[in-house]
Amino acid sequence: MDNVISVQNLGIRFNRNRKRKFSIREMVLQNKNTTPKGSFWALRNVSFNVKRGEAVGLVGANGQGKSTLLRIIAGVLIPDEGKVEVNGGVAPVIELTGGLKSDLTARDNIWLVAGLHGLNRKQVAEKFDEIVEFSGIGDFLDTPVRHFSSGMRVRLGFSIVTSLDEPILLVDEALAVGDAEFKMKCYNRMEKLLKEGKTLFLVSHKEEDLNKFCTRGLYLKKGQLVIDGTLKEALEAHLKDQGALDD
Amino acid sequence: MYAYLLGRWLSQAALGINLESDRVYQGDVLKHLQALRLLVFRDLQIRYAGTWLGYLWSLLDPLFMSLIYWLVFTVILGARGVGEQPYLLFLLAGILPWVWLASSLNDSSRALITENRLVRSIALPRALWVIKSITAKAMEFIFALPILIGLAIIFGKSVTWELLWFPVAFILQYLLLVGIGLLLAPLTVLARDMKNIIRLVVRLGFYLTPIIYSVSDVPEQGQVLSYLNPMTGIVTLYRAGFWPQGAEILYPLLSAALWALGLFALGLFFFKKIEATVLKEV
Repeated sequence: MDNVISVQNLGIRFNRNRKRKFSIREMVLQNKNTTPKGSFWALRNVSFNVKRGEAVGLVGANGQGKSTLLRIIAGVLIPDEGKVEVNGGVAPVIELTGGLKSDLTARDNIWLVAGLHGLNRKQVAEKFDEIVEFSGIGDFLDTPVRHFSSGMRVRLGFSIVTSLDEPILLVDEALAVGDAEFKMKCYNRMEKLLKEGKTLFLVSHKEEDLNKFCTRGLYLKKGQLVIDGTLKEALEAHLKDQGALDD
Repeated sequence: MYAYLLGRWLSQAALGINLESDRVYQGDVLKHLQALRLLVFRDLQIRYAGTWLGYLWSLLDPLFMSLIYWLVFTVILGARGVGEQPYLLFLLAGILPWVWLASSLNDSSRALITENRLVRSIALPRALWVIKSITAKAMEFIFALPILIGLAIIFGKSVTWELLWFPVAFILQYLLLVGIGLLLAPLTVLARDMKNIIRLVVRLGFYLTPIIYSVSDVPEQGQVLSYLNPMTGIVTLYRAGFWPQGAEILYPLLSAALWALGLFALGLFFFKKIEATVLKEV
């Protein structure tokens, strides 16, 4: 079987200092910035492989490195150690509304974001109606996105990114958004994509969502990959740690 | 359209940055070129937001700047000896590239900050965000050229074969700006006071660059020094078509080429080095 995602000895370090930026004054006066002192490993020695068509749920409390891992796989962060290989394109359902430009209309945004993700004109034209239809923005197609409600923006972003037809889908807690009806639509689309053989990498705190889609589970704790097994195993380990905290 | 070819070559260079990174991205040059085109188009679309007034302003801005300096120097101070004649055309030929530089430095140094949401969600080569702001400003420069051409026609200025230096100057300035942009964009993310420094340097640079005067107005011993300014050679090259330099062109050409290629290479190298650190802070 071929691995679509291969992660080896991954490590990434962040600064702990509350003041992350340093000023020129500090550099001049102290001759060196103070950054390395307060750094910590957000992820360390993380290794795993994901095969085509697998649905992997990433479990862990806040601040344990889940989103960081997702962003490294998405290629928007560069690790300090180790190697990440991703075979095939990635549809990142991350910071969905971030890619939208508020001065442009929904129509222009669809062309822009889909294009930035690598779709050519013909492909965008083919998918355009489907994206509009799925997002449910209807009459607001030619309205600048800044007039959109936050819910509408997320719907538009979700529709564009999940229409990319990339073999790997990275989802970061995006399913929690929207009204009940849109949530249902999201679930259906995710299921459809999984049936088509896409690989799913899902970060979520909602057991319901994880159980719905994922079979495999990864449990991250303090930047270490503690459990790499079935989703059940990962969730149980996570619950146990949470229970230990409660006592 | 050599801007297109240049863009293609540059994005290949930008792609080269990404290929060596730890994540093996299977994207191809064409996709990145398309992204570049879209981003440049989007920038211009927002800039000119539907109306023609937006475009008009980018013509009026350098034109009025030139008129003011023309007024001050020739009418008020009566300094007939400065620069070349017609002085208004001379000014404009220097101010247009300067406006491109100033707006490029301003935009490209903040490119990673203003586009941070996209940088955080789309795996495009990071250099692209810098390249796109400079390319968008390059398009504005090209769009403003009709006033230069118009003015040259009004003054009945004859041109020579040395006008060929104009596109050379354009390419060299493009490389220079990309290089500087690649240096400044990461630094601005890490140290927010960069923007004050840039503003100051751009303001001083205007007077230290032969824009309202020409290199030959500088005292003999200062002329060599003036080529230590990256823009001196480039501005002189732009003007060579209207005021032929002959063999004198060697110094400006050498200075411009060395600066442009040197800073371009340095920018690429530095950006590659600091990219991982910067991404964590974006």
